[in-house]
Amino acid sequence: MKNKKTVSTVILSLVALLSSLIIIVPLLIVVFGSFKDAAEAQLFNLALPSSWHFENYQVVVEKGNMGRAFMNSMIITLVVTLFVVVAGSLNAFVVSRKKCRFTSFVYYLFLLGMIAPIQIVTTYGLLQMMNLTGTFLGVICVEAALQMPWTIFTLSGFIKNVPRELDEAAFIDGASPLRMFFCVIFPLLKPIMATVVVTTAMGAWNEFMVPLYFFSSSTKWTMPLTVYNFFGQYSSNWNYVFADLILTALPITILYLLCQKYVVAGTTAGAVKG
Amino acid sequence: MNQKKFYPNYFTYPAIVLFFIFYCIPIIASFVMSFTNWNIKRINSPKFTGLKNFIRLFEDDYFMLALKNTVLFAVATTIGIVVLGLLLALLLNAAIKGKAFFRTVFYLPAVLSLIVVGIMFKAVFKLDGGILNQILNAIGLSGLTRDWLGNGTTAMWSIIFVQVWKWSGFAMAIYLAGLQGISTDYYEAARIDGATVWQRFRKITLPLLAPAFTVVITMNTIGGFKVFEQVYVMTNGGPGNATQVLNTYIYKEFSKGTLGRSSAASLLLFLLIAVIAVIVNKALTSREVEM
Repeated sequence: MKNKKTVSTVILSLVALLSSLIIIVPLLIVVFGSFKDAAEAQLFNLALPSSWHFENYQVVVEKGNMGRAFMNSMIITLVVTLFVVVAGSLNAFVVSRKKCRFTSFVYYLFLLGMIAPIQIVTTYGLLQMMNLTGTFLGVICVEAALQMPWTIFTLSGFIKNVPRELDEAAFIDGASPLRMFFCVIFPLLKPIMATVVVTTAMGAWNEFMVPLYFFSSSTKWTMPLTVYNFFGQYSSNWNYVFADLILTALPITILYLLCQKYVVAGTTAGAVKG
Repeated sequence: MNQKKFYPNYFTYPAIVLFFIFYCIPIIASFVMSFTNWNIKRINSPKFTGLKNFIRLFEDDYFMLALKNTVLFAVATTIGIVVLGLLLALLLNAAIKGKAFFRTVFYLPAVLSLIVVGIMFKAVFKLDGGILNQILNAIGLSGLTRDWLGNGTTAMWSIIFVQVWKWSGFAMAIYLAGLQGISTDYYEAARIDGATVWQRFRKITLPLLAPAFTVVITMNTIGGFKVFEQVYVMTNGGPGNATQVLNTYIYKEFSKGTLGRSSAASLLLFLLIAVIAVIVNKALTSREVEM
């Protein structure tokens, strides 16, 4: 019996190892390739670079305008995340605490946002009318609107389990609603906040369609847009393309490895029915 | 306690105002502009043209092809992700070594940008020296090597593969949460009654995973209909129009400046997703059992 168990453990572990290679091998080819010269990178193999070309990264940062793109992505990601988290949690708090016609309307309004795709053409028209095309503000507003529904549903699901007695205690102590929210409720949301912040930041960082439609000037381009454009120009220099991919994926990958618990919780938070 | 005063409606306003202006108004506008000849050249003076945009769309072979491809993409990727995600979850739920490592690796593709993944897979699917063709050569299947993305029949399936590669680990995480919620008592009782491994899986695991299936299927069907980045970066709808999907078609029309027609296409995508989301969710939720 014991022997049979060990055998199945070994076999299953081997299956897992083989499956993981489908993910690991292409990623390793990209990582190694980013340090090779053009001819060697083009072989797309798992050999270590015969000589390490760290300068590939320098070339990419300069020619690909990565510094600028990094700042642009940072600005958009930070503002979107900040707004979505603050406005979203205020909204989720009232929607999950108060049962009335208004709040159930709000619930269905955001449910629509969970399903329906963005109407990008008329959004373009709207931004044009508001003189917001090609501006950070326009892109930030659209991306924040896109991220809002998931945030509100995730937070509402969590707030339901925060005891109401806390609100009442604060109320009896004479706190204003805003003060009660930020001093009593907000600190209790820490675990779910980490999930919401990380998920929103990843979504904003990786967003491609919105900046593609709304930024015509390359000075405002975000990392994914810059990479796409760089690939178009240097598609025969795979060493540069790979270095560019690494630079774009690195911030998110580091965030994922550091906050893995919260990232995966975000996946399943959406799966919990509320 | 005074609910009104304590949970003031104005808390909800910032999120609602932003969402309404930048998300809901464009939806309403789409319903209106789809019936006009709205164009980039006369952006401020669209004229009502009735159903003309919709008729033209259905007469356009490329639109119909994009519609067909989108449906194929959504269905094929959902099936692939539902099955592979479940297999990965069962694998990680079994007694294996290095669970934490495998969980990290399988989930990793879900956090990478679609653009990064798309460009990486261009290297995988390349004709000369591409990773897939190298592997096929190495295992003696040189006859199967081809220009995967440059060929009308294989290009769509290659993009479908990339989507399954990217999202199976995400589905795995949802299933794993579901599996952890199933009490071991059920399995214990079944074992005492002499149920086989397969019977335990069929009669306990599958029914109790129904909520997870609902989430995985709904999310991936909706996500499949919204496909854009992978196609845009890997084939840009080509070769010819073989991999054109609704969102790349919309972008193409938008770039030409025919805003009315692209709004109409966008509206059709919206209606398609809304109807399918409701049907899928209804059909699946009714199969769920109470734990």
